[in-house]
Amino acid sequence: MSDPLLALDDVYKSYGEEQVLSGVSFEMDAGDVDVVIGPSGSGKSTMLRCVNRLTEIDSGDIYLDGDCVTDADTDVNELRKQVGMVFQDFNLFAHLTALGNVTLGLRKVRGMDKATARERGYEHLEQVGLSDQADSYPAELSGGQKQRVGIARALAMDPKLLLFDEPTSALDPELVGEVVEVMRDLAAEGITMLVVSHEMGFARSAASDIIFLDEGRIVEHGPPEQLFENPQAARTGEFLSRLETTHEGE
Amino acid sequence: MPPLPLQSDWAFVVENLDLLIAGTGVTVALTVASILLGFLLGFPAGAIEVYGRGPLKRAVETAGVVLRGTPLLVIIILLFFGLSVSSSAFVTATIALGLRSAAYQSQIFRGALQSVDEGQLEAARAVGMGRFQAIRSVVVPQALRRSVPGFQNEFTIVLKDTSIAIVIGLGELLTVGQNLYQGGQSTAALEIFLTVSLIYFVLTFVTNRSLDRLDDRFSIPGGERA
Amino acid sequence: MGTPESTTTERTIRTRAAELTDQPLTLLTVAVFWTWLVVRWTNDFLLDGALIERGTSFFPTAPFEAAASALGSLAASLGPVGFPVGWVAGFFEFLAASIPYLPELAIGVWATILLTVLGIALGFVIAVPLSVARVYGGTITRSLALGYTELFRGTPLLAQLFVLYFATPLTTVIRELPTVGTGFIPAQAFWVAVIAFTLNSAAYQSEYIRSALNSVPEGQLTAARAIGLSKVDGIRHVVLPQGLRYAIPGWSNELVYLIKYSSLASFITVRELFERTDAIASETYRYTELFVLAGLFYLALVISASLLMEYVEEQVAIPGLGTTGR
Repeated sequence: MSDPLLALDDVYKSYGEEQVLSGVSFEMDAGDVDVVIGPSGSGKSTMLRCVNRLTEIDSGDIYLDGDCVTDADTDVNELRKQVGMVFQDFNLFAHLTALGNVTLGLRKVRGMDKATARERGYEHLEQVGLSDQADSYPAELSGGQKQRVGIARALAMDPKLLLFDEPTSALDPELVGEVVEVMRDLAAEGITMLVVSHEMGFARSAASDIIFLDEGRIVEHGPPEQLFENPQAARTGEFLSRLETTHEGE
Repeated sequence: MPPLPLQSDWAFVVENLDLLIAGTGVTVALTVASILLGFLLGFPAGAIEVYGRGPLKRAVETAGVVLRGTPLLVIIILLFFGLSVSSSAFVTATIALGLRSAAYQSQIFRGALQSVDEGQLEAARAVGMGRFQAIRSVVVPQALRRSVPGFQNEFTIVLKDTSIAIVIGLGELLTVGQNLYQGGQSTAALEIFLTVSLIYFVLTFVTNRSLDRLDDRFSIPGGERA
Repeated sequence: MGTPESTTTERTIRTRAAELTDQPLTLLTVAVFWTWLVVRWTNDFLLDGALIERGTSFFPTAPFEAAASALGSLAASLGPVGFPVGWVAGFFEFLAASIPYLPELAIGVWATILLTVLGIALGFVIAVPLSVARVYGGTITRSLALGYTELFRGTPLLAQLFVLYFATPLTTVIRELPTVGTGFIPAQAFWVAVIAFTLNSAAYQSEYIRSALNSVPEGQLTAARAIGLSKVDGIRHVVLPQGLRYAIPGWSNELVYLIKYSSLASFITVRELFERTDAIASETYRYTELFVLAGLFYLALVISASLLMEYVEEQVAIPGLGTTGR
C-alpha cells in the first residue's frame, strides 16, 4: 500500500499562552479534496500554513509523500515547490502582470528560461479562463479574477498539493461563483486540494472528506454525506446549522 | 621624554574644550534664531500659499522655489559679500538660514493646513465665525499640532547646516574646530573633528528626543496623529 | 522621521516645483541651459577647443554692453519715470558682465554633476542593503544599520568632509592610486568628496527606502515564500521592485539635496561650480553677479533633476502601485 500524500501526526502549535492546534492528526491520499470547516479562531488557517511551513509547529510530524517535512534539515523552499498556496486576500505581486505573477516562480524557482515560462504561464492562465488578461496588472483585475490568477500562480509550480486559505471570503458574493467553478474543475482533474472554506456548495459536491476543526482539535472527519446528513458529534451539527442560517441570510 | 602623540592630541582637545563649548553656544543660538525667523516668515508664507491668491501667492511660491533650489552656501555668500546685508556674520547667517528655513517651513505648514479637513472650516463658519477667525481659531491650532514631525526634521537640518556659516568666519562649533586644527595642533585633526561631530550628534539627538516629547504632549487624544 | 506625513510633505514640495517646471518658459530655459552646457563640454573636453578656444565665451559681450548703455541713457533721459527701462538696462549689464565667466562655470557644473551623480548612485548601492538590514535583519545587523544611519544623519555633512579630508589618510592613499589627477580623472580631493557624499547619502537614502519597504504589504513576501522563493530572493524579486517605486519621491528629494550640498566640496578644494564662482569673485569682486549666476545654475540643475525624476516615475509607473494610483 502506498503512503498517503499528506499526513499530520499529533501536531501542536501555540502562540504564547494561546493553544491553537492541540494534537491534530489526519491523512489524505493523492487526488483527494479535503475541506476544512470550523468556527473562526479554531486553527484552520494555522493548520494550513503549517503544511508548507509558513508557520512552524511546536511538536508532532507532517509527512508529504512519505517524507517528514517538519525535520529541521528539510529545505523549506524545496517543500514549497511541491505545495502550492492560494491566499484569502490574493497576495498577487502588485508590480507584476497576471502573466508575471504566474511566471515569477517558474523562472526564479524552477529556473526556466523566459520563453518557456511564458508559454507555461499562458497555459495556466487559460486553465483559469484568464489568458486574455495576461498583461493586466492586479489593480486592473476584479477580485474574482485576482483569485483566479492566484490559483494559476500556485498551479504553475506543478505542486503535489494545493492549499486554499479561505479563497472566497474576501470576495463580493457575486464573484464567488467564478472562483468556485475553477476549484471544481481542478478537483475534477484529480488535483489534490486541502481547502479551508465555508462554501458549502463546493464542500458537498467536490469534497472527498470534510474535517471539522474546533478549538484546535479535529472534532469530526468523514465524507460530506456523513457530516452533513448524519453528524456524529453534537457540536458538528450545531455548527453546520448555524452556518446554513447565516448563509441563507446573505 | 615627550608623551605619546595620541595622548597629547586628546589632551589638546580637552585643554580647548572651553573654546569648543563656546562654539557650541554660538551654534545653538544661531539655530534657535534661524528657526524663529524661519517660523515668523514661513508660517504666513504657508498660509498665503493655501488661502492667498493673485500676485502675492505667486511671489511667495516663486521665492520658495528659488530658496529651496539654491545651496545655502550661495545664499550666505550672496548676502554677506554680495548684498552686504549686515557686517555681522551672526546676523547674516541668521538671515540666510532663516530665509532658507522659511521656504521649507512654509511647505510643512502648507501641508498641515491642507490636511485639516474642509468640514472643520465649514463647521466653524456654520457657528457664525468669519473666514479669518475660523482659520485662526479652528484650522491653525490643528495644523500646528500636525506640523510637529516636519518641524522636527527641519530643526535638525538647520542645526547641522549652521556649520556652513564657517564660510563667513562665524565662530560656531565647526569653525572653532577648524581653527584649533589649522592654528593650533594639526596632528590633532581626527581628535578635534571627531569631538566636534560628537557634539553635533548629541545636539541633534537631544533635539529629536525633546521634540518627540513635545509631539506627545500636544497630540490630541484620539486625534489623528500627524 | 519616516512617517507617512513626512512623505506627503516631500511629495507636495516636489509637486510645487513641478508646477513651476510645467511652465513653457521654464522648460525653454532648461532646454537652452542644457544645450549650451553640452556644446560647451563637447568643445572643451572632446574637441579640444575646435569650435572656439577653451575658456572663451560663445557669446560676444559688446552687443549687451551697447544695449545696456543705450538703455541706461534712455532711462536717464526719461527721468523719474524711466526706472523700468533702468531695470532692463541693469539686466543687460548683468548679462554683459556674466558672459566672460560662463565657460569657467560650465566646467564647474560638470564637476558638480559628476559629484552628485556618483554620490547618489554609489550611495544607492549601499542604501539598499542598509535598508533591507533595517527591515528584515536580525538584532545585530539591524542595530548596526541603525547606528550607521543615525551617525551620518546626526552630524553635518561638512564635518564628515573634514573628518575624511583632514583627519584620515584617505587623501594620501587616493593620491597614490594610478591615473588619479591625470587627464579626465579628477584629483584626490574630488574622490574624497565622492566618498563623503556616498556615505552620507546612503544614510538618507536608506531612510527613504526603509519606509518604502515598510509600506509593501507583508502578504507580498509571504506569497513569494509560498511559491518557494528564499527570503533573499523574495525581497529581491518581489519586495524591492515595489518598495523602490514607493521610494521615488523621497529619492528625488535626496537628489535635489545632493545637488545643493555638493557645493560643500569646495571646502576641501574640489573645483566644482561654487569653488570656481568663488575663485572668480575673489579676483573680480563681482560677488553679486557671480553668485546670482551660480544660484541660477543650481536652480536650473535642481529643476532639471525634478523634471528627470518625474519622467522616471512616469516610466516605471505600474497601475495601482506607488504614487499614481494610491
